[in-house]
Amino acid sequence: MTTITVLPAPRSSRYGLRQACRAEWAKLFSIRSTWWTLFVTVVGTLVVTALSTASAAHHQPGWYQGFDPTNQSMSGLAIGALAIGVLGALVFTSEYGSGTIRSSMAATPRRLEFLLAKLLVVGAVALAVGEVLTFSCFALGHAILGSSPVPSWSLTDPGVLRSVVGSGVTIGLLGLMGAAIGAAVRRTAGAMGIYVALLFLLPILLAKMPGNLVRFTPLIIIANSIAAVVRHTGFVSPVVGFVLLACYTVALILLGVVVVTRRDP
Amino acid sequence: MSSVISVNSLTKQFGNARAVSNLSFEVVPGVVTGFLGPNGSGKSTTMRMIMGLDTPTSGTALVNGKPYTELNWPLREVGALLDAKAFHPARTAYSHLRCLAYTNDVPLARVEQVLGIVGLTEVGTKRAGKFSLGMGQRLGIAGALLGDPGVLLFDEPVNGLDPEGIRWVRNLLRSLAAEGRSVFVSSHLISEMALTADRLVVIGRGALIADTTVRDFTALNGGDAVRVVTPDVESFVAAVRRAGGEVDLVPDDSVAVRGMTSAAVGELIARERLIVHELTPMRASLEDAFMELTRDAVEYRSGGSTGAALVGSGGEGEL
Repeated sequence: MTTITVLPAPRSSRYGLRQACRAEWAKLFSIRSTWWTLFVTVVGTLVVTALSTASAAHHQPGWYQGFDPTNQSMSGLAIGALAIGVLGALVFTSEYGSGTIRSSMAATPRRLEFLLAKLLVVGAVALAVGEVLTFSCFALGHAILGSSPVPSWSLTDPGVLRSVVGSGVTIGLLGLMGAAIGAAVRRTAGAMGIYVALLFLLPILLAKMPGNLVRFTPLIIIANSIAAVVRHTGFVSPVVGFVLLACYTVALILLGVVVVTRRDP
Repeated sequence: MSSVISVNSLTKQFGNARAVSNLSFEVVPGVVTGFLGPNGSGKSTTMRMIMGLDTPTSGTALVNGKPYTELNWPLREVGALLDAKAFHPARTAYSHLRCLAYTNDVPLARVEQVLGIVGLTEVGTKRAGKFSLGMGQRLGIAGALLGDPGVLLFDEPVNGLDPEGIRWVRNLLRSLAAEGRSVFVSSHLISEMALTADRLVVIGRGALIADTTVRDFTALNGGDAVRVVTPDVESFVAAVRRAGGEVDLVPDDSVAVRGMTSAAVGELIARERLIVHELTPMRASLEDAFMELTRDAVEYRSGGSTGAALVGSGGEGEL
């Protein structure tokens, strides 16, 4: 048995983010659960959008007073929001759960770089999926509402493109939030619990409290500030909504950074 | 020879428990260094600190003169098998290695090569979750060899392997060392270390007990002896003492001579015209030496006696 071999020397002086990202990309797409999660993200969103939008079709013209067809078309995104968070969380929790984390950190021991590579890859994938999804929702909405007397809502109308592109961006941010929670919590069940609580339970809880704090919660921001073309009172503006979501994402990522760099795997 | 792993005053405290205590040793190239200690003695924690996976409470562990986390191409410098299950069960063996290869710019041809070395070529496209413990160990070893590193760490590599697999690992470790690599392998199996290692770092309860060669370790602790059965014990003992040897009286009416080779004892018997019925060179087993040394350092011990006994040099057997 011989183990002698000659490996070609690497081109750069040390491994870096490029190598780490390439590995993370390969990791993400070499397990079946990734494809399942993405399938649920896309199909789940489109099915809910289709069902919900179908019930808004074929009404009398008077019914469409103040109707926001763009927002209506994004109604399935709650499913996508849930599924993309699962995808993000699994990027970390599946490694901690299986023990892969030890071979990963032995291969790329600088932990900040390791975390950053994972976030870059899952963030890019979630963003791309999010954009494909929101444009698909937009097209699906048009197909379903086409023969109904809805107000004009082409991409060139004010606020429509912002709503479609912006909603896609939020899917990217939610993927990052899920990943950051996964990095901080390490366990799939725990990460999912926190993610679902943040997205779905917190608004229910805050809705019963005074001060209209519910308008600051992520899913309410996405549904009523970012995905909305017709503005309603009681919700933050799209710009404020984006800034808030970005702040939440950064805060969770910082938490993940602290845990990953301080706590040994 | 310059050391490639240098552990200096390494200490790891988990809450109230001190897993590793002021541990210092060196690992040098070209030999297999065995890392021996009872279960729970801090071997894995030490290895994890060398790999940068656990942060030491104090002290340092350097690989090629650097902390592991500062290595430029970690997999090309150090390969490690720390955990038989350090892979995702849903990923194929090939994919697992491919992902590792990307991190250190290792060409994918090398993935095929290491799968061949560990004998997993035919199951390379099977999901690793379906692997037996032994196949998991082989996949872990493939990962360790991936970057063709000069330093290799193996934590209990023979766990879960069948006898054929155990011999394969033993030969692999020895051939890696023969190629000039530094091989650091932990085990709680003394017999395995006796066959595999050249040098020994022995720890108990996280502290260093011995840092020596396998040969010196057995010779110093318990030592070699010559067992003699004679009808005239008194004359024999007197003769040995005159010749400068030491004598232990063994309960079965034989005499154990220390400090003399069996040849010297034979010549002494002829010179002194003594009657001897039996003369057997005895080798203290590595196990005896280990038991003797770690007697106070074993964290969890069964009730039985661990008294040292001499065994015949012919009977290598299962220790």
